[in-house]
Amino acid sequence: MILEAKDLNYYYQDGEQRRYILKDTSVSFEKGKFYTILGQSGSGKTTLLSLLSALDSPHSGTVLFKEEDIKKIGYERYRRNNVGIIFQSYNLIPTFTAVENVLVPMSITENEIPEDTKTVAYNLLDYIGIVKSKADRLVNKLSGGEQQRVAIARALATNVELILADEPTGNLDEEMEQEIIDIFKKLAHEHEKCVIVVTHSNEIALQSDQAFQLRKGVLSSYE
Amino acid sequence: MNFIKRGFLSIIRKKGKSLILLAVIFILGNLIAGAISIQQATGNVEKNIKEKLGAAATVELDYETLDSFSDEEWESVEIEDIDLNLIKQIGELSYLKYYDYSMATNLGSESIESYQGEEMDGDVVMMGPSMDFMLKGINYAPVIDFEEQKGKLIDGRVFTQEEIDNGTSVAIISKKLAEKNNLHVGDTFTLENQVYDYDDETGEEELIDSRDVVLEIIGLFEPQSVKKDQEEKTDDYMIDWMDIDYQNTVYVPNEIVASENKYYWEAYMKMDEEYAAMVEEEDESFEYYTPVFVLNNPEDIEAFEEEVNPLLPEYYTVISATDQYDSIAGPMESMSKLSKYILIVAVIATVLITGLVVLLFLRDRKRELGIYLSLGERRSHVVGQILSEIMVVALIGITLSVFSGSFLASQISDTMIKAGDKNTSYEEVIYYNELHTNLTTEDVLDSYEVNLNSSYILGFYGIGLLTILISTVIPLMYIVRLNPKKILM
Repeated sequence: MILEAKDLNYYYQDGEQRRYILKDTSVSFEKGKFYTILGQSGSGKTTLLSLLSALDSPHSGTVLFKEEDIKKIGYERYRRNNVGIIFQSYNLIPTFTAVENVLVPMSITENEIPEDTKTVAYNLLDYIGIVKSKADRLVNKLSGGEQQRVAIARALATNVELILADEPTGNLDEEMEQEIIDIFKKLAHEHEKCVIVVTHSNEIALQSDQAFQLRKGVLSSYE
Repeated sequence: MNFIKRGFLSIIRKKGKSLILLAVIFILGNLIAGAISIQQATGNVEKNIKEKLGAAATVELDYETLDSFSDEEWESVEIEDIDLNLIKQIGELSYLKYYDYSMATNLGSESIESYQGEEMDGDVVMMGPSMDFMLKGINYAPVIDFEEQKGKLIDGRVFTQEEIDNGTSVAIISKKLAEKNNLHVGDTFTLENQVYDYDDETGEEELIDSRDVVLEIIGLFEPQSVKKDQEEKTDDYMIDWMDIDYQNTVYVPNEIVASENKYYWEAYMKMDEEYAAMVEEEDESFEYYTPVFVLNNPEDIEAFEEEVNPLLPEYYTVISATDQYDSIAGPMESMSKLSKYILIVAVIATVLITGLVVLLFLRDRKRELGIYLSLGERRSHVVGQILSEIMVVALIGITLSVFSGSFLASQISDTMIKAGDKNTSYEEVIYYNELHTNLTTEDVLDSYEVNLNSSYILGFYGIGLLTILISTVIPLMYIVRLNPKKILM
């Protein structure tokens, strides 16, 4: 087991009342599998992802990475060394080229990275489908699909085992959506990564190894 | 790609914003540079002029206080003499390089002529008895006036301690006085101590007694002006009279002056019995010494004054050579004050304006900063990146303003000096004492010069970069409080 959430509670205080986004949520994930978490808007799926990626902390409960509490690892350190995050709106640095965007996490992580980082970055982009001529362009000169590929390459740049994605295909057309899903499947099955994708698309959920559904803050298996 | 490299990339890729920040820092930098430049220049003037004025001090009656007294207050005023023991006690203070005390008297002569200046020679019609020669007593054998470059021994020698102690009849006179009377080292000359009786009603005077004072010349001196271009200013009568007085000064051991003073007053008392009775009653000694204390360091003047003033009898005060600076440096002081205010305002404006500009730019980059944080970048590195970006731009802006600011300061202060020259009525020197030099406000203004020197450059870089650093405090607090989840999700 690579990642485990135990009894996660997350709520907003509304006067004297607590409005629960997540209530006693427990779930676990393994390496080499492609997971999806399905839910409607406002169901709490993005909140769950923010807790799993340590961008936020739960009011109670724990998130364990390889059986160690991520709070103990340190949220910043956990993000630096153990997880790659992909956002719906790509969140790339617009004044940097594609390859420079991939180089940024390489300079931040404490994981072992080959010395020739630039070559690694180009190879990674090439593997994801961005050729060198495009890799040297500023990211805002690339299409949406290409930008999301760069974001995936950036998430993989630190050689992490855990990839978390928040609606990664939300801004893409169907064809591009399938290409991105294929990449995730390949990463999970060929490269032994644990890929967790938050989505509202049943099509994507059906292609995952295991899907969960979030309804009113309660997580269950999606059949 | 570490955070410093990311900073450099940001500067290059966001040229427009970098140029705006550069322009803001350059404009405000000019204000700061100009103010520092004027501050440095006025500071240098004060230092140089005070160095020229020397580190000498004396003790004399506090005329300013006495002048403010009403007639009634004057009735209760009793002024003591400065005691020789007190002078010696002050002379032991650690601030002093050396000290002297002297008595002076004026004598006339029938055998030699006094020096009356280059243009006036031969034209002067003497009315009544002339007492042109000032006998100046010396106790410090090497002569403090020579040590302090008021005069320079150009022939012969200074006194020996033996001559001082024994009151030997030897003298040092000016070269011009010697030339006028064809005197040389080794020659003797005669002055007369003449005692006159003045008739208040007729205004006539009658010589009642006189004696010769024969002195051997052991040395010749030449006055050394603190001002090099004195020759060019022959229209300045004040300076001419000071020069003439000094050319007719005759340095002798104190004992000689004391003896002549005693002779004079004894002769006077023989003539005026009422005065003699008063002198006897008050036990008058006729020994009035004027001390001169030369300090090791002009900066010790204030500490010296603080230590000496409590020791002095009532109505006396310490007067230092540098006091003259305050009376002649009015325009310089106001320029220094103005530049100080400009500096304070410019620093505050820079902190506020740069801070706001940087904060606005950072708000535009909120998403970028959130991305770094989501990737696990340390907040200190994000702060470091922004700081390095700002400091690089600031360094360029400040470097450009070093030169333009100094140039601007030079132009502005030239205009201010010219305007001040027209509007300022310079204070007259009210109390003349032997510490006074012929330096004037004009000399102070002439010595003002704005230039690029290392202390200005270092001072400006220090203040400039520190100001920019302070201006980034609020924007950096903004970064520290950023929440990547709220920005990105």
